[in-house]
This record gives sequence, C-alpha cells and structure tokens, in this order.
Amino acid sequence: MIQFHNITKRYPGGYEALNNVSLNLQAGEMAFLTGHSGAGKSTLLKIISLIEKPTRGQAILNQINLNNLPNSRIPYIRRNIGFIFQDHQLLFDRTVFDNVALPLIIQGYHHTEIARRTRAALDKVGLLHKEKSLPITLSGGEQQRVGIARAVVHKPMLLLADEPTGNLDPVLSREIMQIFIDFHQVGVTVLVASHDLSLIEELQKPVVTLNRGKIIHNDLEPVDV
Amino acid sequence: MSDNTHQHRPNALSRFTAWLMHHLQSLVFSLGKAYRSPSATLMTVAVIAITLTLPSGFYLLLKNIQTISGDLRSSTQISLFLDMKLSLENALQFNTQLQQRPDIATTQFISRTQALTEFKQSSGFGKSLDHVKDNPLPHTIIVSPASQLDTLAIKTLLSKLESLAEVDIAKLDTEWLEKLFTIVEIAKRSVIIISLLFSFAVLLIIGNTIRLDIQNRYQEIVVTKLIGATNAFIRRPFLYSGVWYGLFGGLLSWLIIELSILVLSGPFDSLNLLYQSQFTIISFSFSDFLIIICCSTLLGLAGSWLAVARHLNEIEPK
Ligand SMILES: Nc1ncnc2c1ncn2[C@@H]1O[C@H](COP(=O)(O)OP(=O)(O)OP(=O)(O)O)[C@@H](O)[C@H]1O
Ligand SMILES: [Mg+2]
Repeated sequence: MIQFHNITKRYPGGYEALNNVSLNLQAGEMAFLTGHSGAGKSTLLKIISLIEKPTRGQAILNQINLNNLPNSRIPYIRRNIGFIFQDHQLLFDRTVFDNVALPLIIQGYHHTEIARRTRAALDKVGLLHKEKSLPITLSGGEQQRVGIARAVVHKPMLLLADEPTGNLDPVLSREIMQIFIDFHQVGVTVLVASHDLSLIEELQKPVVTLNRGKIIHNDLEPVDV
Repeated sequence: MSDNTHQHRPNALSRFTAWLMHHLQSLVFSLGKAYRSPSATLMTVAVIAITLTLPSGFYLLLKNIQTISGDLRSSTQISLFLDMKLSLENALQFNTQLQQRPDIATTQFISRTQALTEFKQSSGFGKSLDHVKDNPLPHTIIVSPASQLDTLAIKTLLSKLESLAEVDIAKLDTEWLEKLFTIVEIAKRSVIIISLLFSFAVLLIIGNTIRLDIQNRYQEIVVTKLIGATNAFIRRPFLYSGVWYGLFGGLLSWLIIELSILVLSGPFDSLNLLYQSQFTIISFSFSDFLIIICCSTLLGLAGSWLAVARHLNEIEPK
C-alpha cells in the first residue's frame, strides 16, 4: 500500500526532517509510527497525503508514484485516504452530521446515500445521538470521534492518524485506538503516529520508530527492490 | 487509483446530478450566508449599488437629453418667404407642390392678408397699420422637414428650397441645435468612460469582499482540500457569492434611480406647466433594466473570479 524508497525531506531553511527513509506498509496492515517530538512523524504522513513533496527518493501509494503527480489529480488521490488530525480540524459552523458528510458531498454521492453512510459512520463511533449538535458543544474525545467518523465515512483504503490521542486521557485513548483496530479488522490499512508508548506496546502491532529523521526500529517487512 | 476503490463510487449519471446539486447548494448556501450576516451584506450591496447608480444615472440623463433634442429636431421648421410678385393662386399651387416632396412632412400656408392680420393682432399696432395701403408682407410657407432627416439633410433641403424661383428667402435657425448635438455626443462618450471606470470599481469592491471571505474561511478551505475537494468545488460557493452581490447591487441601484425619478418628476411637472412643454422624464426600459442587472451580475462573477483565481490556489494544507 505505502512504499517509501530512500525518502529525504529537507524543509526550506535546510532542516532535514526525514533522512533516507525506506518503508513498506502492505495493504491490510496496521502499524504505529513513534519517535520523539520533531523526529519527522508528521512529515512522513504529510508526504503520503500529498501535503509535502519529498526532496529526494520515491513515495508510492498503491502503485501510484506520488513524486510527479499533476496537481489536478491530488484531490482524487486524497479521496482514498482518511486523515485524522490531532486537533481534529472540524468545521465549527456546521453540525456534526454535516461535518461527517463532507467527504461524501465532495465526491458527489446521492443525498440518500450520504444520509445512510453518515449515520453508519456516526453509529460506528457511538455518536449517532449527537448528529444535530454543533462540534463546539462536544467534549474533546467526542470531537476526536467525529473526526474519525469523517475520515472513514467514504470507506477509504488507508487510514492515517497523526497523534489522534494526543489530548485525551488514557481511557479515551484506548477507546479511540480500539476503533482503529476495528477498522483494521475489516481490511483497512492503518498507520497511526503516536507518542503513547505504553498504549502501543499493549496493542501489539508493528512499530516503526523515527529518530531525527532516521528509522531506528522497523517491525515491517523490508522494501522489496 | 486501483479498481476496488471505484466499486463504491457513484456512477457518472449520479455524479452529474450531484454536480448539479452542488451548484444549487452553493447557490443557496451563499445566499444563506449573506442572509445570516445581514449588515455586512447590506453594506457591500449598498456600496455596489451606489457605484452602479452613477453610470446608469448618467446613462438615463443622456437618454432624456437625447429624446428632448430629438423632439427639438423634429420641431425644426423652415420658413419660406415667397416672392412678392407671386399671386395667391400660384403661391397655393407652389404649396401643394411642396407637400408632395418626400423630404417634407407638412407645410403650413400663410397668405399675405393672413400674415398682416396676425401681425396687426400680435404687434399691437392694430389701428395705425390700417392706413398702410400696400401690404409689405409676402406669402409665407412654414415647412416641417420629414422626420428622418438629420441636420445635414435639413441644410441641403434648405438650400434646395432657397434656390427655387418662387422662394425669396428661406430661413432656418440650426446653429444652437448643432451645438446641442455636439454636447450630447460629448455626454455620450463621458457616459462610456464613467461606466467603464465605475464597472472597474465594482469589480474591485466585489473582488475585495470575496478575498476577505476567503481569508475568513481559510481553515475550512484547508480541511476540504485535505479531504479531497477539487479547486472547482471550493471555488463554487465564492463565485455564487459574487453573483449574488452583483445581482442585488444591480437591483438596488435600479431601485435608487427609480426613486430618484419619482422625486424629480414633481418639479419637472411644474416646469412643464410654466413653459407649456410636454417633456416627461424617461425611465429605464425593460431592456435597460435587463442590461443593468446582467452587467452587474457579470461584474460580480468576474470580481469573485479574480479574487478566487488569485487567492484560492495559494491556500494549501500545511
Ligand atoms: N513547514 C516546515 N518548515 C520547516 N521546518 C519544518 C516544517 N515542518 C516541520 N519542520 C521541522 O521538521 C522537523 C520534523 O517535524 P515533524 O512535524 O515531522 O515532527 P513530529 O515527529 O511530527 O513531531 P511532533 O511529535 O512534535 O509532532 C521538526 O524539527 C520541525 O521543526
Ligand atoms: Mg507531529
């Protein structure tokens, strides 16, 4: 699903956030990405979601080379990814339902289909009863779950989460992680960046550890040449 | 991407209806947004309307001047003072001849005796003129040129008539008319310049409003881009906002001018009464109205397009 071949990312200003990173996450796998603050976790996820371009090396997402993709194709690639942010990035001027429905609206689904899928996604994260609420009236954990519902509502093949439990207490964190595991169990590829080492250890999934832009630990299969 | 992802994608037809739906939604959404912040919207619309009122007001003024000057032109008359030696029969015959000419609309024959009587009455010399034996006045024909004749053609007609043997003197006062036409021409061009300038101003006003709107919704744009929205999708509601601004601005400016005409028509009527004239203020015709509305709407679309083209593509997720 995701293949990194010797990726180096140098930000303007010269800082090398990723240094010669190679990685192979297969379809249907679930893995954690860890490392100290500033290690390059977010940068790695941003390259997959086409927010940043690698300075050197090749990034491949589902057999598509992300390096020289025309801008007009970027939206369509992103529709295959569900992205979960640490600060959930909800739109506060519309209801929970409208937030979750957004990916479906963008992709042009019929409104009955939109309603059905949106409710199903909200049900999955246990927030169906809050569909008419505004995000501002929800707790942090609930907001994060709305963010997850929005990320999965269009059934993406790949779920990327950047510190989804960063602001949550241990109980809520475990609940959120369990939702990811549920998606993994129905065949979705999942990559979660997280600091929460004890929780990661508990969940017993492959771990990739970054240190100053270099991989220092990798439970995944090596990249095939 | 790979085929398995396309399975649960909507098909082409339902994507088209969805595209249409999104246009409708953007249309209604942008209208709703304008409605939810009424004071800001009203202010923008008012600025646009006032800016539009100037060129369309000038246009209307010009239209009125043109009609009045047109009336004046059609009331242009040539006075023919006939040869003193011409008998009444011959003069009347000559009058009939004139009436048959295609470049003459109507004629009015005034015989020598008629002329004298009228002169006696109007000059107040009445009695004293009774002693004058020989009537010094010639037969006179007042000629109204055919209405399609322009100033030049009227002048040609004048010289033609003057060259006729029956005519002693032909008189026409055109100088002031020509001056008026030149002024109208200058006014016409000024209206074009003013319209262009103020249209540009409207473009900038709407462009700037949309630019601010884009800035205010920066976060939303970033998020929708990350979720996979195309630029066209993100652009749409902003373009419709511009369209609404233009449309409502145009309607309001039309209303302002109609009201102004209402206010002006009172004094205008008393002017008519004083001068026994029958000038009425001409308002916008239906096609004028359509042109104003279409132009302002198009300006709205163009203004928002400019803003969107410049600022929307700059916003990328970080
Ligand atoms: N847009 C940018 N321009 C310049 N430098 C950047 C930019 N984004 C990130 N960096 C730098 O790249 C390095 C890696 O950043 P990144 O956000 O990937 O780290 P991270 O592992 O996600 O850290 P954290 O756990 O704190 O989120 C950091 O040192 C950061 O300062
Ligand atoms: Mg980070």
